[in-house]
Amino acid sequence: MSWALIALGLVPLIAAALSLTCDWRLARAATAVAGLVSLGLAIAVAIAVEHGRTLQAADGWVRLDSLGAVFLLATGLLYAVAGVYSVGYLHADEQTRDFARFARRYFALLNLFGWSMLLVPLAADFGTLWVTVELTTVISALLVATDRTDAALEASWKYVLIASSGLGIALLAIIVLYATGTHALGDAYLPRFARLIAHAHGSSIDAVRLAFVLAVVGFGTKVGFVPMHTWLPDAHSEAPAPVSALLSGSLLAGAFYAILRFFQVAVAAGERSFAEHVLIVFGALSLIVASLFVLRQSNYKRLLAYSSIEHMGVIALGIGFGAPLAVAGALLHVITHASAKGLAFFGAGSLLRGYDTKEIAEVTGAGTAMPWTGPMFLAAALALCGLPLSGVFRSEFQIVCGGFAEPQYVGVTLLLVFVNLAFFGILWHAGRMVLTPPAGSGVARGEASAWLVAGMLGCLFVVIALGVHLPGDLSALLTNAGHRLASPAR
Amino acid sequence: VLTLAPLVSGVIARGEAIVQQRTGPRVRQPYFDIVKLLGKETVLPGPAGFLFRAAPYVSFAGYATVPLLIPVLTTYGLPLGYMGDILGGGLILGGAGFAISIAAIDSGSPYAQLGSSRLRTFGALNEPTVIFVVFVVALTTHTDLPYVLGATLRASTVEVVRPSHLLIIAAFFMLVLNETGRIPVGSHGGTLEFGQIDEGRVSEHSGPGLAFLRWGSSVKQLVLYTIFANVLLAPWGLASSGRLDLVVVAIALLAGKALAIGVVVIVIECSFAKLRLYKLPEFTVSSFMLAVLAVVIFLFQPGFGDLRLTVFGAAATVTAVFVLLLELGMLRSQDVWEQLGLYAVGSAVVAALAIATAASGHGNGSLYILAAVTIALKALLFPIGIRFVLRRLEADPRVPSTIGVPSALLIAVALAAFAFVVIRPIHIGTIAALPLSALPVAVGGVLVAFLLMVLRPYAPSQLLGFLILENAVSVASLVIAPGLPIILALLLLFDLLIGVLVFVVLVQYLAIERTAVRTDMLDRLTG
Repeated sequence: MSWALIALGLVPLIAAALSLTCDWRLARAATAVAGLVSLGLAIAVAIAVEHGRTLQAADGWVRLDSLGAVFLLATGLLYAVAGVYSVGYLHADEQTRDFARFARRYFALLNLFGWSMLLVPLAADFGTLWVTVELTTVISALLVATDRTDAALEASWKYVLIASSGLGIALLAIIVLYATGTHALGDAYLPRFARLIAHAHGSSIDAVRLAFVLAVVGFGTKVGFVPMHTWLPDAHSEAPAPVSALLSGSLLAGAFYAILRFFQVAVAAGERSFAEHVLIVFGALSLIVASLFVLRQSNYKRLLAYSSIEHMGVIALGIGFGAPLAVAGALLHVITHASAKGLAFFGAGSLLRGYDTKEIAEVTGAGTAMPWTGPMFLAAALALCGLPLSGVFRSEFQIVCGGFAEPQYVGVTLLLVFVNLAFFGILWHAGRMVLTPPAGSGVARGEASAWLVAGMLGCLFVVIALGVHLPGDLSALLTNAGHRLASPAR
Repeated sequence: VLTLAPLVSGVIARGEAIVQQRTGPRVRQPYFDIVKLLGKETVLPGPAGFLFRAAPYVSFAGYATVPLLIPVLTTYGLPLGYMGDILGGGLILGGAGFAISIAAIDSGSPYAQLGSSRLRTFGALNEPTVIFVVFVVALTTHTDLPYVLGATLRASTVEVVRPSHLLIIAAFFMLVLNETGRIPVGSHGGTLEFGQIDEGRVSEHSGPGLAFLRWGSSVKQLVLYTIFANVLLAPWGLASSGRLDLVVVAIALLAGKALAIGVVVIVIECSFAKLRLYKLPEFTVSSFMLAVLAVVIFLFQPGFGDLRLTVFGAAATVTAVFVLLLELGMLRSQDVWEQLGLYAVGSAVVAALAIATAASGHGNGSLYILAAVTIALKALLFPIGIRFVLRRLEADPRVPSTIGVPSALLIAVALAAFAFVVIRPIHIGTIAALPLSALPVAVGGVLVAFLLMVLRPYAPSQLLGFLILENAVSVASLVIAPGLPIILALLLLFDLLIGVLVFVVLVQYLAIERTAVRTDMLDRLTG
């Protein structure tokens, strides 16, 4: 199966090269196909590693285990639907001047972005991990700036500056971790995950703690943990809708994956409770602040962005609770959040195309004006809030149950209160946008493109399917990944 | 000392002239001046009293006394050596300066008075620096006799490369520049009244009085150089007994050291412009801040166990402190070209550390490759590329800070000290103690880089802030993980390259769309 790992790294690159050199129609097709192929490959390798196997390729530089596969799935899914959705999203611009150049550049960058995010869970050592995460930052910064408006440039500059500085701290974390390893592994070694985890026991406790905190702060900047989240709403609201979806569902999760690798080392060094406490503090803080911001938003893309921060807080809490059920729930939440947030951002993108505004107050009667987008945006909102039938409900329910089992009453209480607060906020805003009577006749009725609807339907299918029935393969994968987090040295 | 001092002045004047492509005065010119002036009659200004007449002799006596207190040629104290410590020496120097100032006021000439009041104003800020320098000396040696500090350094060379000591050296060097009236503080031999501080005070003197003042000021210069060289920087090569051959060697070495410092001074004088008068407090405050930081660092320096001197360790601490100092320089600088230059120098220093690391047997040969790539990318490509782009965009090179320089430096020093407090209790791996003491300095550098990004609302400066952050991290990585595989290090650099490219593209977008590279105009997205 290790050929599939190499293929995963090559397919998007080929698509990117095609996008740059060929006609924009071919670029469009290549992107959609590359996304779908990557998703297929991701599912295939995920099934291969679900019982604890580890795939390796390229002399050990590329490696995948069940933990990485969870994140690979989330990225593969979003990459595929974003590719399809982009076809429709750019449709409206086709008449503008210079469209061919714009489209070629856009698709090339989108493919590169997908490529870099697929590489994150495939990295086998901390150095490569950092490099791939930084790659995602710089490539997505260009994508955020695609629209070239004042606001987009501002968002992009803030994003690349804050995220890169955060990653500078993360680099420090990696170096500290490397130094702790010299004790057992000698002066010069490759900081492979497996090797560091195997030798973590007996290394300096202070240094491991320092490295973990630095990693949470550094990579946490990209995850969007409060108070390092300031770039996130700007970047998410100004990027094109497919890019927002990838940022929210995949890029944040990828950075969180990096934190989980540090978490593994900390657990192996016997610092489990310390690491969990750090995650609980950051998770709770993000959840609280983000849900309060959700209430007072007037821009629906920023609303969704704050909801992403909230969900990252939920995932951090789930890992922090430490019960196997909660950990599996948190990992499932990575996938369900990716699909639900993809759906929501796609819906928001269609609304933006239809109404040409990002203000919540100016969007009314979407339910009747846009017969597909309106209901699906509402469905996305409901799913994000964790209503039953959606996968998000399942994962959040698992986290709460796990928290009660541990027991972590303070954390669970905070979780329940503020998730409900966000529930209220999102539903209130989304309801006003969709269920009101349409105002005036300025808005064209109908959908801009069938491709938009196709992308949304794909996400909706995944959200509902995961809520109704969790496939046995996926559940095995999640359990195995949970084991890897709980006892990494085994 | 008395005979050697004018020679040093002469050499500096001549050297400067050569660098400036003038012929310049002869090296022995100061002697001729003094002899000539001694033979002239004294002209007294009208209102002058006995103070004015006495001042040259009092001050010269003061300057001539100090060499008895400091280790000029010998490692053991001269008979009077234990009569006064560093503070005592400082006091005598100060007293001599005071006599000149009083005389200047007594003369009733406006120029002389202006020089005097300026000197007092800025000189007042020097005294706390001296006090803090003495603190560190006292903390290291439990006394403040200059001989003892010299002896301590000779006994364990490792003390020289301790971060706190390196900072003291930097602070004291700035102090020396200040006290001897060199650029960037004053212009020494200038005739332009506006620039005069030191010279202004003596403008009313003539004849033998002026001769003694000139002589005295060159003695003072040499005394300060001697303290700098023989007490702080390199207390070696002094005669340990009164034997003639040893003393001769010591004299030669002293001359060599003084001239070496003179060369550095020449380079500084010729490459910097004089600071505007109201910027001077920034300069003195900077040196004071460095001294404060040194004390704080000394108090909080981690107990890493025994310190053994290694080339690697010395290179590590020196580099870390140097990078930190360059960052402080960037924090002070208001000009983007200057910041670019400082960044390039910093990168070159990091590369030098990589070479030193490999040469001293840590890590492996691949570090040479890393050093080469570092120089190519960070010291050449980035600065030149960024300069090219900014020139093409016709960006305004001025990048004023949002808060004053002294406050910025204060925050920076607080951050650097914070890094020491945080790192102190942490024990890492098996690394030797000395290189490890460079780690908190590097972490402090990271924090200062953040400060630079926060304080400059300009895209190029923020980009440079990110780059010096990366430099500080590189130092940390060379210090505690010299064995990091070359392939990873190269990957990191490659990533940095892409990152910088993207930054530059964004800067261009900003410049095109907003016709400026300011980032404080980016305030639309809130909430």
